[in-house]
Amino acid sequence: MALGLNYESATGGDIIPVCKYNAKAGRWARVDRENNTNEEVDITRTFKAVFDLENVQTGWISFVAGQAPDFDVVTYPDTHPQRTAPTANHKSGVRILVKLGKECGGDVREIASVSKAFLRGMDELHDAYLAGVKANPGKLPVVIMSDTIPIVSEGKGQKSTNYCPKLEIVQWAPRPVDLEAQPRPAASAGRPANTPPSTGSTKATPPANTADDDEFG
Amino acid sequence: MVRLHLNRIWNAMSSFAAHGIEHLSPSSCNTFIASPAMFVLQKCLKRSTSVGAAAHRGTATETGVAHGLLEPSAPITECVEKAVAQFDQLTALNTDPRKEKERDGIPGMVAQALAELRPYGVPTELQGHVSHTVEGLDVPIIGYFDFEWGQHGILVDLKTTHALPSKISINHARQVSLYKAVRGNSSARICYTTPKKVACYELENSEQHLQALETIGRAIQRFLAVSGDPSELAAMVVPDVDSFYFNDPLTRQAAFEVWGL
Repeated sequence: MALGLNYESATGGDIIPVCKYNAKAGRWARVDRENNTNEEVDITRTFKAVFDLENVQTGWISFVAGQAPDFDVVTYPDTHPQRTAPTANHKSGVRILVKLGKECGGDVREIASVSKAFLRGMDELHDAYLAGVKANPGKLPVVIMSDTIPIVSEGKGQKSTNYCPKLEIVQWAPRPVDLEAQPRPAASAGRPANTPPSTGSTKATPPANTADDDEFG
Repeated sequence: MVRLHLNRIWNAMSSFAAHGIEHLSPSSCNTFIASPAMFVLQKCLKRSTSVGAAAHRGTATETGVAHGLLEPSAPITECVEKAVAQFDQLTALNTDPRKEKERDGIPGMVAQALAELRPYGVPTELQGHVSHTVEGLDVPIIGYFDFEWGQHGILVDLKTTHALPSKISINHARQVSLYKAVRGNSSARICYTTPKKVACYELENSEQHLQALETIGRAIQRFLAVSGDPSELAAMVVPDVDSFYFNDPLTRQAAFEVWGL
């Protein structure tokens, strides 16, 4: 058991609702589930949240349409022992719990992403957190998105623009009571540590059809 | 006296050298875990064994597919002809009763595989040799991969079968994990082709499968270290002669001569 958070979904625990950053549009949305349907509510203008950067997780994450996401992550400052992705669908990613501000929802949400643009923004936020937490022991940062920075990438004869979020710490706050760290299994949801490794059942497509690797998670 | 002499030699050598084994392969590792008796028969007692028509079907199909990939404009019929010609050559003296059935499957297997793999383009390397050194293992694990597209970082091993599997087998995962580790490909795949269907699966958890292969290699080393006398090792295992490993009449006869079974 590594230090971690209660993100349980497969074993009957409460499912933590998610909050998404769409790097292709530079927008934030919270995903509300009602009557078994998901509804994305745009919260870009009001986005403000307490980020639990004390327990941010990094590692390998798989988002495949039609399947539950698979997380093979460790809690910072641990580094993932596996240098290469466990499957072609897993990409380097980040997962964190946040408590949204009252104006944009007010509840605890999970953010998980493999978008390079988002990871860049998170990396800069984490640097700011490490610099500021010494003066704010036991507190967590209150974060807003002050801007987005377009990042143009070229490849396979196409140009695409993703927006890196400029995440800014505007305040430090005591840890909200409902954003409590709890132990959780360290292993991937899809491949617990003490089970045999899968061999592969995902059909591969020819290289010309491989997907853009800067997906929105 | 002879045994004492052999053991004296063995004490001064590595367990592999004492048995004249210069390397392991995914195939020999798989044989060791599936049929230790067959491993002893082949690698320690050096008895010649022959493979059935199914193994030749695989070799022949690969020849036809390789031709079709290297010559993208070659008609399928030409690729099939090359495959069948090689099968006929390889099985000219083979008495396997399934020979005709295996021959009949080749045209479809070649066509299916080419439909799947031609979109990858022309491979940059075929039948590439790989050699992997393992800490604590006195010999390398070697192998030969089928196709590599260096420009895409993709390596594919072709497998022929009559029933399309829904996932990669453990043995195949271990084999291809070796290739991936040595070549440093970002993607390793196994293409299963049948006379009517084809599927190419992405290898997952390659590091763990490679570790398994290394574990098997170390187990073989410990087993061989028990004695430098092959007959002593043979006395520690018993063949399952109902297994397909002993289908070939000559192999079956060899098992009878060694174990009396």
